[in-house]
Amino acid sequence: MDHFLTALQMALTPYAIGAVGLGTIIGLIFGSIPGLTFTVALALALPVTFGMDAVPAIALLLGTYIGGMTGGSVSAILLGIPGTPSAAATVLDGYPMTKQGRASIALGTAVIVSTVGGLFSLVVMIVSVNLVSKIAIDFGPAEIFALVLFGMSTICGLSSGSLMKGLIAGVLGLLIMTVGIDKIDGDNRMTFGSVNLLQGVNLLVAMIGLFAVPFIIDTFVQHRHGGLEAPATGSLKANLPSFGLMWRNSWLMARCAAIGTGIGAIPGTGGAIAAFLAYSHARRFSKTPERFGRGAIEGVIAPETANNAVTGGTLIPLLSLGVPGDPATAIVLAGLMIHGITPGPALFMTSETTVYAIYIAVVVAYIFILVFQLLGIRLFVYVLRIPQQLLAVIILVLCVIGAYTVRNSAFDVYSMGVIGVLAWGLIRAGIPITPVILGMVLGPTLEGEYRTAMQLSGGHLDIFYKSPVALLFLGLSALVVLMQATTALRERASKRLESKNA
Amino acid sequence: MTPKTMIRAIVAAGGLLLAPALATPALAQFPDKPVEMTVLFGGTANSIAQVLATELGNALGKPVVPVSRPGGGGAVGYSYVADTRPDGYNIVWNSNSINTAYHTGKIPFDYQKFTPIAMVSTEVPALAVKSGRGWKSLDELKAAAMKMDGKLKVGISGKGSFTQLVSAALFDAMGIGDKISYISYGNGKAPVELMAGRIDAAVQWPGQYKSYVDSGQLDVLAVTGKKRVALLPDAKTATEQGYDVDITMWRGLAAPKGTPPEVVKALQDAAKTAVESPAFLKAAKNLGFDITYEDSAAFGQDIAKDDAFYAKLLGQLELKKQ
Repeated sequence: MDHFLTALQMALTPYAIGAVGLGTIIGLIFGSIPGLTFTVALALALPVTFGMDAVPAIALLLGTYIGGMTGGSVSAILLGIPGTPSAAATVLDGYPMTKQGRASIALGTAVIVSTVGGLFSLVVMIVSVNLVSKIAIDFGPAEIFALVLFGMSTICGLSSGSLMKGLIAGVLGLLIMTVGIDKIDGDNRMTFGSVNLLQGVNLLVAMIGLFAVPFIIDTFVQHRHGGLEAPATGSLKANLPSFGLMWRNSWLMARCAAIGTGIGAIPGTGGAIAAFLAYSHARRFSKTPERFGRGAIEGVIAPETANNAVTGGTLIPLLSLGVPGDPATAIVLAGLMIHGITPGPALFMTSETTVYAIYIAVVVAYIFILVFQLLGIRLFVYVLRIPQQLLAVIILVLCVIGAYTVRNSAFDVYSMGVIGVLAWGLIRAGIPITPVILGMVLGPTLEGEYRTAMQLSGGHLDIFYKSPVALLFLGLSALVVLMQATTALRERASKRLESKNA
Repeated sequence: MTPKTMIRAIVAAGGLLLAPALATPALAQFPDKPVEMTVLFGGTANSIAQVLATELGNALGKPVVPVSRPGGGGAVGYSYVADTRPDGYNIVWNSNSINTAYHTGKIPFDYQKFTPIAMVSTEVPALAVKSGRGWKSLDELKAAAMKMDGKLKVGISGKGSFTQLVSAALFDAMGIGDKISYISYGNGKAPVELMAGRIDAAVQWPGQYKSYVDSGQLDVLAVTGKKRVALLPDAKTATEQGYDVDITMWRGLAAPKGTPPEVVKALQDAAKTAVESPAFLKAAKNLGFDITYEDSAAFGQDIAKDDAFYAKLLGQLELKKQ
């Protein structure tokens, strides 16, 4: 208890609270602007923390991380361009809601469920960090491979209409990520002798290209033909979701928060996979799955709860094992190390006070997020008043800056352009974009874990079916694919029947 | 003449004509604008770079801006800096990766494309096993490996990575090079894999093991440098245990070849001031690296010596491509 009181004193100084607030704002801004990503925000914030005391420094970084995770949903909902890969699933229903004039409801819901998800995961982390980290250790390459494969199976739910087109998109995503130096054997793959291709295609750069560039092209084309809708000129009401709406979905929120926390606790997975799994879970267990993809509020609640629940989840391997789950938490780890806080099993013995202070900082960060974003919604919706062609120009500039800053490489700006034009072509061909990003997020983990498992087993596949956990997830993946296939067949049969009867 | 070289020739010719007009009578004192420092990797390399850049800036009187250009095992950043003007305003935070990136075929040029400025730090890899396996020294590990039916599973960061080179050199010196099976892990997951018992031993950095050693879950059997490391004072060196291995990862600063000697001297002196600053000393303690300052000349000799060493080692591992 003494530790907790000391931690309260450390974490609730005006300086520390200010640091969290500042971090949250930076994260929100970088997360919510298409093109700029919160991984970049964290990299920029890191050197600033060197001159600070340990607790405010970590508070600043965690605020940026959490703010960015939440901010990603703003541009996903308003423009259909996710601010972070974790918000890609939010586009599916959030953007249709904006088109129906329900942007503020979607934004308000996203903020509230993000906070609920984040705080839920924090509580889980506090009470069960020892247990969960023990379970996380048991997730070896074979188990993570099976889990990620299960994540891949959500492609089934994302490809409205044609499963084949969804698979094409997913495989494209997987293929793109094989460019560059292979992480296991160190071989150059598909680099064609180019030094720039050795670095591979950056996920964030590709994401900017996939979502923002088609938006820009479409807007310009429509502007030329005079087909653009006039911007909303009337009073834009900033309606907030009702308490009843939240209450009706509390069980869904609880389930998605659990998914997010669980996924976050397993190193090497991260926010995107949690969001997609939660989305597909919500759709599968919905009484009206046909509403998904057309502006269902559950389609916003599920991924937004889950991706913020990841924040608490990733703290488990980060603090108790010293393993960062994704590039963003890797930067948080660097911040901890440089202030002399070495994450790992000894952290809870040697720096108990600091650990409590971290927990408190997370809570403060979520309070800030709730306040800033609920107030901000009134401002955010004004974006919709900007004529689309002007908005497209602004986004174009931001995307070029964003793509460049990810690795300070002009090559990435070209890659963004090329990927964007290809993505536009895919959309024209009726191939969905979301499975591409899913393939890209999961591809490297999927391949790496599979090959590591093969190295461990000496090339025998039995490593996958000897592990009950791996077997469970492989079975679930098979089940999802099977169910999808039978539904598709049944639909086709009933359609044929209808056309015969007609 | 290809179109590209033609354009370059025209630009160069134009530059020559304009040069007398642009040249100031006396060369301005270096530096008169910010210096850009390319950082090749994330993780510890990036953390040290951030602290170093701040201190270098203080010493030089102009800011030093660390710019991250990761990818390709350093290839992207090295290629970028090698192509910049040799005036000292573009420097690279380099490491042994200049040797390994060349020999494994990632970059078409070697260390001679750069002028060394100063060595700044060294990091010593460490070999760890799970506690309670009954292995307390390299000899005990060797005895166990010899008796094993299969091979000893050793975690590394990836094929051709620095941690694999260190492992290979160490296990060869111990005479069990053919009893090893390498497992590639990214993201610093080696301690977790050791704890779970999926691998038997792993070569990684002391900072990653520190917390586990303190909590008694992992044992560090050896470090591969000349001296013990401050972070893990109880871990013996391989040499102390009778195996002749001395490999450390160095980091330092380099500029494109052709940078004027007085500019290199100014940067070298700034590096010396920077590494002696309290902030840098604190970072060294927290991040678990050693400050090893060497001036330009000594640093250059060490890089050349290392180059021959890694060429041989990569050749033995059949990873040498050029």
